[in-house]
Amino acid sequence: MRKVVFLFCLFTATNLIAQNKQLLYNFTDIPQTLMTNPGADVKYKWYAGVPFLSGISMNVGSSGFSAYDLFANDGVDFNTKLRNVLSKTTHNDVLSLNQQMELFSGGFKLGNNYENKGYLSFGLYQEFDFLSYMPQDIATLAIDGNKNYIGKRFDLGDLSAKAELLSVFHIGYHKKIQDNLIVGARAKIYSSIFNASSINNAGYIYTNTSTDAYYEQIVYSNLQLNTSGIAQYNDANNTTNVGTDVKKGVLLGGNLGLGLDLGLTYYPQTNVQFTASVIDLGYINHTKNVESYSYKGFYNYKGLVPHFNNENAAQANYQDFKNAIVLDTLHTKYTTWRPTKFNASAQYSFDEERVIDGTCNCEGSDPSIFYKSAVGAQLFVMTTPKSPLFAFTTYYKRSFSKSVQMKATYTLDSFSYTNLGLGMSTKVGPVNFYVLADNLLSYADISKANSLSFQLGLNVVFKE
Amino acid sequence: MKRLLYLPYYRYLGICLLSLFFAACSSDLDFNQTKNLRLEPTYVANLVYFDIPANEFVTNGIESSQFIDRSTVDVFNNTFFVNDLAKVDLDFEINNTIARAYTLDVKLFNASGTQLDSISIAVPAYYGASNIITQKEVFQGTRLSTLKSTTRIEMALRMASGTALTETSSGTIKMRSGITAYFVIQ
Repeated sequence: MRKVVFLFCLFTATNLIAQNKQLLYNFTDIPQTLMTNPGADVKYKWYAGVPFLSGISMNVGSSGFSAYDLFANDGVDFNTKLRNVLSKTTHNDVLSLNQQMELFSGGFKLGNNYENKGYLSFGLYQEFDFLSYMPQDIATLAIDGNKNYIGKRFDLGDLSAKAELLSVFHIGYHKKIQDNLIVGARAKIYSSIFNASSINNAGYIYTNTSTDAYYEQIVYSNLQLNTSGIAQYNDANNTTNVGTDVKKGVLLGGNLGLGLDLGLTYYPQTNVQFTASVIDLGYINHTKNVESYSYKGFYNYKGLVPHFNNENAAQANYQDFKNAIVLDTLHTKYTTWRPTKFNASAQYSFDEERVIDGTCNCEGSDPSIFYKSAVGAQLFVMTTPKSPLFAFTTYYKRSFSKSVQMKATYTLDSFSYTNLGLGMSTKVGPVNFYVLADNLLSYADISKANSLSFQLGLNVVFKE
Repeated sequence: MKRLLYLPYYRYLGICLLSLFFAACSSDLDFNQTKNLRLEPTYVANLVYFDIPANEFVTNGIESSQFIDRSTVDVFNNTFFVNDLAKVDLDFEINNTIARAYTLDVKLFNASGTQLDSISIAVPAYYGASNIITQKEVFQGTRLSTLKSTTRIEMALRMASGTALTETSSGTIKMRSGITAYFVIQ
């Protein structure tokens, strides 16, 4: 157990992906599924999430290596392991962490039971995002140096990372606009507590043999790190503390942005369902406590060029470098785009059951109860600073009764080809509890896992 | 009745899922092995470069036979260099196509002005054949410590006597050099 906790801490500390919630997506017995598709076919009279416990989720992922690859107690020299990890990863490998916690959430049906005025849902959640690509070339330069890489361009563009802590206020609405079509939308206000992003970098460090100087050495740098919500702590006279700033930030005191979720559910037949959603189509304007650092320029280094009989001239060479590649601190506002997620699914339901828990659903008006079993496939795409991340999931969902539903998934993504997941939603009286976890096979040896995710939560739900 | 039949299954599955985090296994990991981290990066870079045409040794018809450059160098005293630099190779290559012989003296001084080390390279005059002189200087052990104390480098290029140069004399004396720095970081 200690190992597991330690491992989780390690993953959290060393960054780890994707925000794919393949188990939660379209699991319509759980109100939080609306956060993955505002047009999900969720029905309730009203629901309220238990504050701080209604939605806790975490995704960690490392596409290139696992903790075991680096830290296995197998007698292999640590330096050999480090080299093996470096040789098996590429600059397209990702380390990622996403964590969310609902502070409060709720929803209610508009109008009376017989009216079709739609459903409202709302809430506030906190989110932490981290994503970093493996800075492969920079790591190679640091570990091996450039001596054995004559002619290679060490790509400074490998440096691509971003981190953000934010809170999100949201209000959503979904409605059945035709007998077989439900559409929904959710408006979001983002309040970014802190942000650091260094993406779209470029540049290289190049050394080659030369017939002029001893080596041809060129440094081209076009690096920039933007930060917001951090600069104030660099000020020695700053009297605020982090806790107060975070609280203020959660309550719309941070850098603000707007976002939109859109989604739909469509039944071409009663037992065939299609869904699609776009989540976090939005941006944040960073205007407060902004500090950016740029390191830009081009320098062709021939070596120290002595200016004979001219005192202190060689120092000018150092100055030449500083003049050529300038480190600047900027205070200009900037905009970041939220990682936008796209989900889609197709589902075929079967195993028709008209009598459930002793009640005959003889009219068959409720498709989610009408079939006990469903199989389907889901697609997940998320934007990143480089190419989008994809995940493909197939699943089987089973309703054991009105109170217990389970969903089993198999997901194929950049992190794993063996990702099996299992989720369960239970309802005892009005109390809904759910727990969803993926990459189950890796729990046999968690240290070898390339990604792990789980969601759990507690709600009070009154069905229509 | 049916519900009762399912009960053991979902209870079993539910318990499995809930206890997942608590019952998960992990291979034995040893985080202390990071203490064995030993990196040995080796960097190469240009060191000093000059290319002086023969006519620069003549000003208004009078020869200047000595060129001196004194440079303040603080890079070797940097903590990273002091702690982690294990060996340094300096490679010099001088190509002289001027019909005069030269001596290049490179002297290393510490902060109090004491000379710590010197390198001398004799360059013969050019007589039409290839005239490239190479010299390698290795700094290890005590000699490396002197390099780490170096804060000033004096470079003197002295021209030996010979046939007088004019402002139209041909040839250049070109020096290119590289440094190979071997680090051991642990």
